[in-house]
Amino acid sequence: MAVQLSDEHRMIQAMVREFATRELLPIAADLDQHSRFPREAVERAAELGLMGMTVPEDYGGAGMEPLAYVVAQEELARACAGFQTIVTVNNSLVCEPILRWGSEAQKQRYLPELASGRKLGCYCLTEPSSGSDAMSLRTTAVLRDGEWRLSGTKIFVTNGAEADLCLVYARSEPEAGARGLSAFLVEKPFPGASVGKIEKKLGIRCSSTTEIVLDDCRVPEGNLLGERGQGGRIALATLDGGRIGIAAQALGIARACLEETAAYVQQRQQFGRPIGEFQAVRWALADMATRLEAARLLTYRAAALRGQGLPCTGEAAMAKLFASETAMWAAHKAVQLFGGYGYTQDYPVERYFRDAKITEIYEGTSEIQRLVISRHLLARS
Amino acid sequence: MDVVVCLKQVVDPELPVRDFAVDPGTQRQVREGRPLVISTYDENALEVALQLKDASGAKVKVLTLGPAAAVSEAIRLALAMGADEAIVVDDPRAPELSGAEKACTLAAAIRRIGSADLILTGCESADWAERVVAPLLAEDLGAACVTFVSRVEAGDGAPVVRRLVEDGYHLVEVRLPAVLSVTSDESNRPRLPKVKDIMAAKRKPVQTWSPADLTRSSARDPGAGVEVRGVVVPERTSRCEFLTGEPAEQVTALAQRLRDQKLL
Ligand SMILES: Cc1cc2nc3c(=O)[nH]c(=O)nc-3n(C[C@H](O)[C@H](O)[C@H](O)COP(=O)(O)OP(=O)(O)OC[C@H]3O[C@@H](n4cnc5c(N)ncnc54)[C@H](O)[C@@H]3O)c2cc1C
Repeated sequence: MAVQLSDEHRMIQAMVREFATRELLPIAADLDQHSRFPREAVERAAELGLMGMTVPEDYGGAGMEPLAYVVAQEELARACAGFQTIVTVNNSLVCEPILRWGSEAQKQRYLPELASGRKLGCYCLTEPSSGSDAMSLRTTAVLRDGEWRLSGTKIFVTNGAEADLCLVYARSEPEAGARGLSAFLVEKPFPGASVGKIEKKLGIRCSSTTEIVLDDCRVPEGNLLGERGQGGRIALATLDGGRIGIAAQALGIARACLEETAAYVQQRQQFGRPIGEFQAVRWALADMATRLEAARLLTYRAAALRGQGLPCTGEAAMAKLFASETAMWAAHKAVQLFGGYGYTQDYPVERYFRDAKITEIYEGTSEIQRLVISRHLLARS
Repeated sequence: MDVVVCLKQVVDPELPVRDFAVDPGTQRQVREGRPLVISTYDENALEVALQLKDASGAKVKVLTLGPAAAVSEAIRLALAMGADEAIVVDDPRAPELSGAEKACTLAAAIRRIGSADLILTGCESADWAERVVAPLLAEDLGAACVTFVSRVEAGDGAPVVRRLVEDGYHLVEVRLPAVLSVTSDESNRPRLPKVKDIMAAKRKPVQTWSPADLTRSSARDPGAGVEVRGVVVPERTSRCEFLTGEPAEQVTALAQRLRDQKLL
């Protein structure tokens, strides 16, 4: 399957690259060091249409298909992976499921706010005792007097500190596992919702990761997303898109590693010549470039399938698995080729190294991606 | 107000030097295989026009002269940034024309457009940097001309433009129609197109004219005056000189060298 970028895709790519170069690159190191949320840059991104890229124009979005989204996400992550995390969660994990499963009233109410950057979204699936085994989550939802009451603690919630709207999964039905779950649109000010512990992290430090505590939180009946008992399906289908976004993040990090390293090895002299003249170094660069390109093709393919409304669970998992492992590998190589300098904060590759790791963990660890891929393989044969 | 912005597409000036080559046959820069972009100051000119559109609803048309196939990206970008429509004068020979010849064709196109209160160009192109198009356009059209303009304020009366000079700026009131050549400034940094405007750009009108459709003014022979005999890539040589003597003498000598090079 050949995937080609259209003229519009290339224009979006150029625009986002320019935005990222002008407005993210100069502040990325500082955001990382101070774990600072880049509020102004998020506002600018929203003006440009990057906070609701696949939301139709009728709901205030940019109306783009997943391939354009992927191209843009790579550019953001190449400059600042943490910034891209903030953006990708709002797009893939919050706007997308509202668009797909939301009632007309929910779409009208939430999508324009999320797409315009007036409101920020977060996705609350993980709990202390359910990570990879997300469908065993324990937060409860009980319908009483025309109102849902949610109780439980969500952890590792990206955008948790700043978000206005939380997409929360809770157990509402007597059935065990996925079938017992429902999804809820919880506004932060709803009584009983609060932000708990804020994590201190290895990488993507400008994006907050927090607990969201639901203490008998009262949610209007109309804020159930989709049907009762549909939560498990919503969570899993949403992750297909989410994983493509993380694959694109990994592409951006891997590309940043390649670009920085290619520049450095031409300039750093040892043994009387640039280290880029040593074959061992050149081969490392060739391998970085080749793996990056392969990861990009997998990611584009998954996005193109999703854009055509075709099933892409296996393809999205492959893209996420291969791209994230490529990013980690490329970051490892980059630090190595920078030598001691690569280990210091004077160069950005140590940040790439720290940022890359998360892509192998969230939205399903590499092990879980392998599980998904193999399950698809065996189910088909 | 009707504003026409003349845009030229050039080989990306930020390409590394090794990608610069001269075609020995035409004595022009090789464009094939190089990314083309809107010439730097032309983007500033477009930004000035779009600010007039934002402030007072000016209608902005972009005009470009070049092989139609090669200029489509520049046009699309200009429309995505906010221009209302585009006119392409499709001339495959455009990259080989002199600035004077280009000005003559552009003037003819502007006459055909009909209404043009302000005509904006970059103050120089990123490749030839001849700086002749704006003044020659003004002469051809019988319009006023102000060069090195950074911004334009259009109120009820005649527009007032800011012309950058060595130590500050002049405020110049212009009568219309006027041709302004625009230089770069904090205030006219080109905006980024929004995603939805990139999509909408496809639906904006683009007209393609042939040079044969245009009536060039006969007052002046645009070919006369300048002939380019050859184009040479400068050879870059570097030389290292060691200054000797006591530190104080070395410093004096260094300061003198820097002064000689006009770096101090
Ligand atoms: C920075 C950050 C941001 C996050 N953002 C969000 C968010 O916005 N929303 C949200 O809901 N969650 C979020 N998460 C949670 C993330 O998705 C989980 O951490 C992840 O899915 C792994 O779950 P866990 O941490 O509980 O690890 P565990 O599930 O305990 O896994 C521990 C190890 O066991 C392995 N393992 C588990 N099961 C199997 C198996 N069946 N076969 C083989 N190996 C297995 C795992 O691969 C892993 O190596 C975030 C996490 C982080 C760190």
